[in-house]
Amino acid sequence: MSAITADRVSAVPSAPRGTRTYRSLSWVATHAIGIAVGVVFVVPFGFIILTALMTDQQALTSNLWPTSWHPENFVEVFNKAPLFSYLLNSLMYSVLATAFMLISSVPAAYALARFQFRWRNALFLAVIAMMVLPPQITQVPIYLMWAKGNLTGTLWPLILPNLLGDAFSIFLLRQFLLTIPEEYADAARIDGCSEWRVMTSIILPMAKPAIAATGMFMFFASWNDYYGPLLYTSENTAHWTVSLGLAQFRTAHQVQWNLSMAATLLVMLPVMVLFFFAQKAFVEGVTLTGVKG
Amino acid sequence: MKTLRSTRVAAAGLAAIGLLVTACSGGSTGAEQPVPSGPATGTVEFWHFFADREAKALQSVVDDFQTSHPQIKVVVKSGQDDTKATQAISAGKGPDLDLSYSTDITGKFCSSGAFRDLSGYIARDKVDMAQFPQTVKDYTEFQGKRCAMPLLSDTYGLYYNKTLLAAAGYTEPPKTATELAEMAKKLTKRNADGSIKVAGFVPTVGFYENAPAHSGPVYGAKWLTSEGKSAIGTDPAWKSWLTWQKSLVDWYGADKLAKFTAGAGQEFSADNAFETGKIAMAMDGEYRNAFIKNEHPELKYGTAPFPTADDKTSLYGGGYVTGNIIGISKGAKNPAAAWELLKYLSTDTGALVKLANGVKNVPTTLPALTSPDLESDANFKTFLDIFSNPNSATTPASPNGGAYQVTFQDFVVKWQDGKVPDLDAGLKDVDKQIDSALLLGQAP
Amino acid sequence: MSIDDTAAAPLTGGAARRGLVKSKTRRSARSERNRFAALMLAPALLGMLIFFVYPLVATLGFSFTRFDLVSSPQWVGLRNYRYFLHEDPLVWPAIRNTLWLTVVMVPSRLLFGLACAGIVTNIKRGSGVLRTLYYLPALAPPVATTVAFVFLFNPATGPVNTILGWVGIDGPLWFNSTTWSKPSLVLLGLWGVGDLMIILMASLLDVPKEQYEAASLDGANGPQRFRYVTLPNISPVLLFAVITGVINMLKYFTEAVVASQVASGRANQGEGTATTLGYPSHSTLTFSQWVYQEGFTNFYLGYASALAVIMFLATIGFIVLLLRRSKSFVEGGRS
Repeated sequence: MSAITADRVSAVPSAPRGTRTYRSLSWVATHAIGIAVGVVFVVPFGFIILTALMTDQQALTSNLWPTSWHPENFVEVFNKAPLFSYLLNSLMYSVLATAFMLISSVPAAYALARFQFRWRNALFLAVIAMMVLPPQITQVPIYLMWAKGNLTGTLWPLILPNLLGDAFSIFLLRQFLLTIPEEYADAARIDGCSEWRVMTSIILPMAKPAIAATGMFMFFASWNDYYGPLLYTSENTAHWTVSLGLAQFRTAHQVQWNLSMAATLLVMLPVMVLFFFAQKAFVEGVTLTGVKG
Repeated sequence: MKTLRSTRVAAAGLAAIGLLVTACSGGSTGAEQPVPSGPATGTVEFWHFFADREAKALQSVVDDFQTSHPQIKVVVKSGQDDTKATQAISAGKGPDLDLSYSTDITGKFCSSGAFRDLSGYIARDKVDMAQFPQTVKDYTEFQGKRCAMPLLSDTYGLYYNKTLLAAAGYTEPPKTATELAEMAKKLTKRNADGSIKVAGFVPTVGFYENAPAHSGPVYGAKWLTSEGKSAIGTDPAWKSWLTWQKSLVDWYGADKLAKFTAGAGQEFSADNAFETGKIAMAMDGEYRNAFIKNEHPELKYGTAPFPTADDKTSLYGGGYVTGNIIGISKGAKNPAAAWELLKYLSTDTGALVKLANGVKNVPTTLPALTSPDLESDANFKTFLDIFSNPNSATTPASPNGGAYQVTFQDFVVKWQDGKVPDLDAGLKDVDKQIDSALLLGQAP
Repeated sequence: MSIDDTAAAPLTGGAARRGLVKSKTRRSARSERNRFAALMLAPALLGMLIFFVYPLVATLGFSFTRFDLVSSPQWVGLRNYRYFLHEDPLVWPAIRNTLWLTVVMVPSRLLFGLACAGIVTNIKRGSGVLRTLYYLPALAPPVATTVAFVFLFNPATGPVNTILGWVGIDGPLWFNSTTWSKPSLVLLGLWGVGDLMIILMASLLDVPKEQYEAASLDGANGPQRFRYVTLPNISPVLLFAVITGVINMLKYFTEAVVASQVASGRANQGEGTATTLGYPSHSTLTFSQWVYQEGFTNFYLGYASALAVIMFLATIGFIVLLLRRSKSFVEGGRS
């Protein structure tokens, strides 16, 4: 089976093939707006960076520009807290959660999207309903369950449930999988492919951007998850993640915002880099497939 | 028949729910555990909320304990908050000893047995309860059941800017509400457009440390009756305070105050409006001394007990007292050793002084208060005196986490915004809300 | 014009074969497919049972009890529901705030996200950097970003009002004003639109190029191409955006808590909410904040469970209505 890949093209309707001036004007407008919005989006991070370089005294005062520069804050953050250990824990949590999620949720989304069966819509509604209950309340019986299983104090109560599907991911993948025309699967079936091969060799490769995006979201959500690790591992510093570590630069009354912001930047850096390369992969690798001749 | 079948299904469902609910809960309060005799050994797991520098201060005190009690090993977990402790205790995964930041959990933890009854231990070891002022005893027990001991305290009083006061011709801080209002008005400076430049005293509740709880003691105002019902609507002291407060708010202009407080710096940053001289007098706790020393050592300020109601001058010298509490949790694996640590932390003068010096709070026993090792200066001493003053008071324990304070504060915010046309009716409403909220948690 | 016409050509021969094959083994093919689907769904079904049905039933059970976490639940019948209907003074403001935020935030984020996705798909060079910039606010830990955002909007000292002052506008009190606090939260939400933008961008890129070309050949202009080509193809993802947007707004917690803490001068990391609940004057008190307060601070987990059940039923009802009315969004643009 072969697939024809096409270049990535602009999917948003471009200007009518009319005047050149219109086209270059819209080019300028798009770029100007795009850059302006980008700059506005980045300004608060300027604030975060400046705060990270300040003294604790100056942090969160009306004096926005550091009067003295303290790049050693970034080192101090490592001295005050075992950030490296937290990073490893976060990495383990995020990687495992994402991998488990993909294993369980991609097939489930595929089944929901591409098959017609009796309980289809009810199940779809149930997937959505899973996201509706407020997590703080549902955690109470779930926490009791994990406590009885003696797994509190570790990250497993956060990682293992992903083996049994994640509602957000299933929903997102299902919607993307809906957009792939049935013809491709039909053609493959006629050629004698089993359902498994249809799924893994035909349809899923076409949904690579969606799968990559879903995996990425799961990774970032796990990376930034604060309440989950707080509930399950706060009594066990060996299993703390970076999100818990971020909240430790404080006294009973006061947060040391310069260190908090420095730690935030350090924690953001890996995911930022990961995103930059991942988005290249799933955006620029969009394949518009043809059909087997 | 269809109806019979659905009724059976519903009944089965409810029964399942019932079973599930009782099976999956944390367990019953259990009978009273006997006080063990004999030496205490083994491991104690100790949870507290401090982090960073303050956690180190507490750790050094714990290290002293381990030196003098080599047969007990203490495992310390810092950075734990009340919600976490509650969930862990309910699941049977709680610590032996838990230090809580606030007194709000006392009522619930005592009445439900989440913290054990300490009276047996206290009697066995003949702990002298007279070394604690009445206020701290009040916030560590509920309905006669003592389930916690106090550890460190925060007390509240008046901070005043000596420079600004002197410039307006004042040498003494105000002692009554009328004096406070008068001085506040004289000390206020305005910009050309009428907005506030320097505020004599900001009366807005919800701003910095302005809370009804902090003003209650200097008005002699009662929160709850002895039966645990709301006393706010029937106590004339609250009405008197509210009237005073609103008249000052109206003098400033509620919207002008809103603009001023919106632009005031973060309370716990070096931009604190009192520390930068934008506010002449403020209500705050003893910890503010340490912040001023760190951030604005040039500030010439003084501290004093907070001004009382005009008709309650005998209360002068008292103030609002609150603090941290420490207790042995229900599922503790080693209550005997936990008690040794608890007793040490809460009654050993050396330990308390060391901790108070490290965290810059008020120690909670009278001997520690008068210890020569306690680091203090004139400004800090004010708060030590307030702490031991018999006129000081605290917010009474309640089984729903001090919800009455949130209800009343909510009302006061509406009141100062001018949204309450009839004060008496409004206060009666507050009583009703507080009482019905308490009923929500009552045993069926 | 649909993809069928252009792509169907090579299939015409097979279509006849397809009919033949179908008539022989239609039933066995159908059951093979159903078995396959069931197998693929099995882990998720188990997960649903353990992590959805079980807590839902438990929450429903708790809602009829008095439960403070540290002692056993005790049956109280409908007491919690009666309190909700008649006596809880803060739950209705919380509900109103949450509904306001939902109704305003979801469409705003969707439109803004679509616009950003449109920009980002139309820029070729440097688009990777731009996409990262747009996504950054959603990627960063929410406490730090909320603190930074609210701080920049400080009415007296923040750059936003300073810049507005340069152009002669007297800026409002933003997060400190009862009228502007929720719109300010919407602005915060727009700033964090990156994750939605990525999803919309992926769906925009999935629209087959041939359809655009065919539409252009038919003489369709820009807006028409958007309406007849783009929209149908991205409609399933739009539905996803609306539903998850609504669900997220109903659970809106951290940003509102941190924002009210910073605005009231007590910048903190999201704990200890009681004194700053919904500051100013509970204009930013959301439903989930109130549920948390009642459940964990006031130890009324039974009541909090009742509130959770009510919210669950209301939300499911709304979503069912939404799904019924947007059949095409459910089934997708393939035809």
